[in-house]
Amino acid sequence: MAVLTTSHPARALRGSGLDRVLPYLMLGPTLFLVLGVVVYPLIDGLRSSTGFFRFGRQIRSVGLDNYAQAFNDPHFTGAIETTFRFVVLAVTIETVVGLALALLCAREVRFIRRLRSTLILPMIITPVVVGIVFRLIYASDVGLLASFARAFGLDAPEILSTGTGAFWGLVFLDVWEWTPLLFLILLAGIQSMPVEPFEAAKVDGAGPWRTFVDHTLPLLRPTILVAVSLRAIDALTTFDQVYVLTRGGPGTSTQLISIYGYQTFFQFQQVGYAAAMMFMVALVVVVVSGFAIALMRRRGR
Amino acid sequence: MRRELAGRVAWALAAIAAVAFAITPLVWMILTSVKSNREITQDGTLLPSAVTIGNYVSLFSGREFTSYLANSIIVTTLSVAIALALGTQAAYALARFRLWGGLDRYLGFSLLMVRLLPPIAIVIPVFLVAQQLGLLNTLLGLIVVYATFNVTIVVWMMESFFREIPVDLEEAAMVDGDTRFTAFRRIVLPLAAPGLVATGIFAAITTYNEFLFALVLTSTPSAETMPIGAATLIGRINVDWGAMSAAGVIGALPIVIFSVFVQRHLVRGLTMGAVK
Repeated sequence: MAVLTTSHPARALRGSGLDRVLPYLMLGPTLFLVLGVVVYPLIDGLRSSTGFFRFGRQIRSVGLDNYAQAFNDPHFTGAIETTFRFVVLAVTIETVVGLALALLCAREVRFIRRLRSTLILPMIITPVVVGIVFRLIYASDVGLLASFARAFGLDAPEILSTGTGAFWGLVFLDVWEWTPLLFLILLAGIQSMPVEPFEAAKVDGAGPWRTFVDHTLPLLRPTILVAVSLRAIDALTTFDQVYVLTRGGPGTSTQLISIYGYQTFFQFQQVGYAAAMMFMVALVVVVVSGFAIALMRRRGR
Repeated sequence: MRRELAGRVAWALAAIAAVAFAITPLVWMILTSVKSNREITQDGTLLPSAVTIGNYVSLFSGREFTSYLANSIIVTTLSVAIALALGTQAAYALARFRLWGGLDRYLGFSLLMVRLLPPIAIVIPVFLVAQQLGLLNTLLGLIVVYATFNVTIVVWMMESFFREIPVDLEEAAMVDGDTRFTAFRRIVLPLAAPGLVATGIFAAITTYNEFLFALVLTSTPSAETMPIGAATLIGRINVDWGAMSAAGVIGALPIVIFSVFVQRHLVRGLTMGAVK
C-alpha cells in the first residue's frame, strides 16, 4: 500500500539553460491556482473574521470578539459535542464492520472481484443521493422501514421526528456509506501481510480466532490506525447527507459543526462570526491531520 | 470434508448478507421511483404492483433537470482535464527537481494541507471573493474552484508515481537529444498512465459528487449541478416521493455507469485517493 512521503529524490538532476527554470515553469500554473483560489481567499477571510457584517457588508472591525463569542455560544459548543459523538460512534462501527468484510473478502474465490466492487457501491454514490435514499428508508409514512413494519402489523417507527432517532439514523447512514472505505483500505492491508506467521500458526494447530488475535490484528494495527484517522478527518466535516436528511434537526439533535457554520453564514448572515468559527474548526482539523500524517510517515520508514 | 462444506456455506451466507446490506437501500429507491404516487403514499406496498415511468417523465418535462445533468458533466470533465494537465507537470517537478531553498519539500506538504482543510472553512472566504469578482452563479467559477482542488489531488497522487519511475530512462532519452520536457512527455507520462487513470477516476467521482461549494456558489439552474438539483427538489416539492427517488436514481446513474466502464481501475483509484 502507498505510504506518505515527501522525501527527496534519490538523485537530483542537473540541467542547463532552459532546464534550470523548467521546474518553476511546470509548477507555476498549479501554484497560481492554489494561491488564487485557496490562499488569497483564506487571508481575505481572516480579515473578514474580525469584522461585524450587516447585509453582506462589513460595518466595523471587532477585533477578536467573533472568536471569543464562539466560546459563549451554546449552539457552537453543542455542535462540536454532537460532531464528536457522531464521529466516534460512526467510525468505530465502520472499523469493526469494515474489518469483518475485509476478512470475508480476503480469500480468492470465484466472483470475488464482482463481490468487492458491489460492496463499494455505497461510497461512490453521490452523498446527496445517499441522503435521499435514507429519507426514503426512514420516512414514517412511505419509508422502507414503515412499509416493513406495516407488513408485519407493527406501528411505523418514528426516526426522523425524534432527536435520538434522527441522530442514530444519521450514524447508520454514515456506516452504510463509508464502511466500504474502511473495507477497501483494510483489505489492501490484509493482502499485503506476510504469509509466514499464518503458515506457522497453522502448523501449530492454532484456531482461526487465536490466529486473528495473535497475528492478524497486530500486523494490521498500523493500517487500521491510518484508515481510522483518514475516515475521522473526513467525518468531522460531514455536511451533504445531514443537509438532505434532517438539516440539523429536530431541534439541534443532528446539528453538526459544518451545518451550524453554513446556517450562521447563509441563514443568519453573520459573515464575520461564521468565518471565525470555521477557522477555529479548520485549526483543529489541521492539527489532527498533522498528527495523522506524522503517524503515517513513521509507519512508512 | 463436511466441515469444509459447512464453512463454505457460512461464507456464502455472510457474503449474501453483505451484498444485501450494500444494495437494499438503492434497490428501494429504484422501486419507489417506478411506483405511481398513489401506490407510494396510500398503498404503501413493498414491491410495485405496476411499473410506471411517470416519475421520470415529469422529472424531465421541465428544462431544469437536463440543465443540471449537462452542467455536472461539463464542470466535471473540464475541471478534471485542467487538473490533470497542470497537476502532472507540477508533480513531476516536485518528484524530480530539488528547488531553491528546499521549496519542493514544503510545497508538497502545503498542497496536501489544502486538501485536508475542512471545505466549510474554505467555502466562506471563496464565496466572498467570488462575489467581488462576479463569479457567483457561473460555470466558470465552479470549474476554477474544482480544478484547484483536483490539482492538489493530482499532485499528491502522481508525485509518488513519478518517483517510482527510474531516472535512467529520461537520462537516456536526453542523451539521445530529447529536451527534459519532451523526455517527460514521451517517456515518463506513458509509463505513469495507470496512475493517471486511477487519479482521473478518483477526481471525477469526487467532483461529480461535490455539494457544498456548488450549493454556496450557484443559485439558478443555469449553473447548478446535479447534486444541487436533487437536493432542492426535496425542498421545493415537499413530499413528491416519486420524483425525489427518480431524481436520486438519475443523479447516481452517471457515477454508476462510469464506474462500470472503469471497473478494472476503480478499486485502485479509490484506495489510492484515500490513502496517498
